[in-house]
Amino acid sequence: MTDTATLIAPRSTGAAPPVAPGRTPWKHEAAGFVLGFACLALLPLIFGDTYARHVLIMVFIYAVVASNWDLSLGYGGVFNFGHLALFGIGVYAYSLLTKLAELDPWIALFASGVIATLAAILVTIPILRLKGIYIILVTFGFAQLVMQVIISQSDITGGTQGLVRIPGLYLFDHNMVRDGKFAYFYIALALLVASTLFLRVFVRSRTGASVVALRDNEEYAISRGVSIVRQRMLTLAASAFFTGMAGAFYAAYQRNASVDVFGMSLATIILSMVLLGGTGTIYGAIIASFVLTIFAEWMADFGAWRPMITAVLIIGVMLAYPSGLAGMIKAAWGGVAGRLKRPA
Amino acid sequence: MSALAEILFGGLFQGSLYAMMAVGLALVWTTIGVFNFSHGVFMMLGAYIAWQLVELGLPAAVAFPIAVIVMAGVGWILQASVVRPLIGRPNIVLVVVITTLAAGSLIENGALTLWGPRSKQIPALIEGNTTIGGVGVSLHQIAIIVITPLILAALWMFLNRTRLGLALRAVAQNEDASHLVGLNVTALYGLAFAIAASLAGLAGIFMGGYRFMSPVMGADPLLKALIVVVFGGISSISGPIFAAYLIGFFEAACSYYFGLYWTPALLFGVLILTLMVRPEGIFASRSRGLA
Repeated sequence: MTDTATLIAPRSTGAAPPVAPGRTPWKHEAAGFVLGFACLALLPLIFGDTYARHVLIMVFIYAVVASNWDLSLGYGGVFNFGHLALFGIGVYAYSLLTKLAELDPWIALFASGVIATLAAILVTIPILRLKGIYIILVTFGFAQLVMQVIISQSDITGGTQGLVRIPGLYLFDHNMVRDGKFAYFYIALALLVASTLFLRVFVRSRTGASVVALRDNEEYAISRGVSIVRQRMLTLAASAFFTGMAGAFYAAYQRNASVDVFGMSLATIILSMVLLGGTGTIYGAIIASFVLTIFAEWMADFGAWRPMITAVLIIGVMLAYPSGLAGMIKAAWGGVAGRLKRPA
Repeated sequence: MSALAEILFGGLFQGSLYAMMAVGLALVWTTIGVFNFSHGVFMMLGAYIAWQLVELGLPAAVAFPIAVIVMAGVGWILQASVVRPLIGRPNIVLVVVITTLAAGSLIENGALTLWGPRSKQIPALIEGNTTIGGVGVSLHQIAIIVITPLILAALWMFLNRTRLGLALRAVAQNEDASHLVGLNVTALYGLAFAIAASLAGLAGIFMGGYRFMSPVMGADPLLKALIVVVFGGISSISGPIFAAYLIGFFEAACSYYFGLYWTPALLFGVLILTLMVRPEGIFASRSRGLA
């Protein structure tokens, strides 16, 4: 009896209306946010070898891409399968801007985010009238189109060969190549912090609430005056900026670019992170990128068995926990918290 | 003259393969409402099973039907393991995409481990070459062009003239009502997947007869089948068939006039434009159902 009552109307003091039932107060979240990322910032002091730092840098890049994908896929409910194309656009935008236009790498990094955002706005136009499966197909087609254009323009883009010797980032006179990936680690972490902060502020804002409203009940949201065209475009554009920056950073870090970034295998891995983490959480995607990347590295010796084991793992989690790792953690936390709160 | 014959022949041939793939995708989508991203892997697996049977000493006439039947079983198993347990979940479309992708990756890497990366070839349906309208063609390709419409016609007859086929269409039209009149919806889901997997496997056998096989051979046909179903409208069987041949001709003409590199880009461009004008596909009616 009391349980259902609290479910329907969460207890409030009457001073302020509840923001959203079950939502964490922002102060708690901010504390967790700072604590979590402070822990990450201390990691290079524990892991001295460059290999461990390299794995963490890759985790951060994947986490940025996956959590931004979660914005359009999980929060927006737009079955966007072209997200990796935005990452690829970032990779190639940075490579071409620094290599051909000889732009300053830092400006190119920022410009790549802008270019990816423009591309996202462009791809929103054909999907405005579409629903569900058709959005999957068009966005998938968009990703393929971008890849085919890059392959066919091999004079500029290197085609299937890709590009090499792309200028890296620099910090004054600091030698980034010989510092054991120290600087790149913190740049990647800074990117993840900025991206996560942006995403969380976005989804907690009024705009974010209206995006979720559109996802959950489109007709009702529209009847309440939410514009599906504007919100959908805004969501995709917002998810593109840091994805493009992550792509640019990836190019600067790896110092080469290839069309592999548009391929199915990378898309599958990142999509697994989004779904394994639990859609509509942002943090879930980040946690899942840690789990999956470190798991994949840990199994590096397994050869062809590695993708097979990963596939079985993904299927298993999807069947057992449809809400992903975030749902798993939430369920566990709920159990613990419930036990603690129970009056003695 | 020769150019026209080349485009016509190439279109018919490619169109046949795309139709075989796209019909399976559309069948699964209309009945279950999910998109099977391991469909391309079915194609590869069918070809490899046929190759293995031929390698064991079976004649092609025996090996190919066995491979197709085995593929039906594979389709059934895949449906039962990664699709059926998810039915009823709110985000099933999305989750099934990832589970079928993962299952596809599992089968693909399994094939790689089992059979190795070296290219293989299975015997052609009919050996030999001939010349039609100034274009040299192989009898194998002509056989595909002739056989595919027969198989598709048989599928159409099955869906429209048999009780089982009508039951499948009923599930596609209204699942709840099908439950009410006592149809075994779960079994029909399995049947849709089994038919789709068999058709894809057969397409793989056809392809393995004129091109070297590899564990990733299904990726490109899957992509083309996706274009076909979007172009033709996914909610029917006839739409994708027409679209498959249309895309086949378009592709043949593009690669003849613009070169091989630009063809995929043009295809995707046309696809996106089509969807902007007719989101349901050019041949689609507004309702969901098999016809």
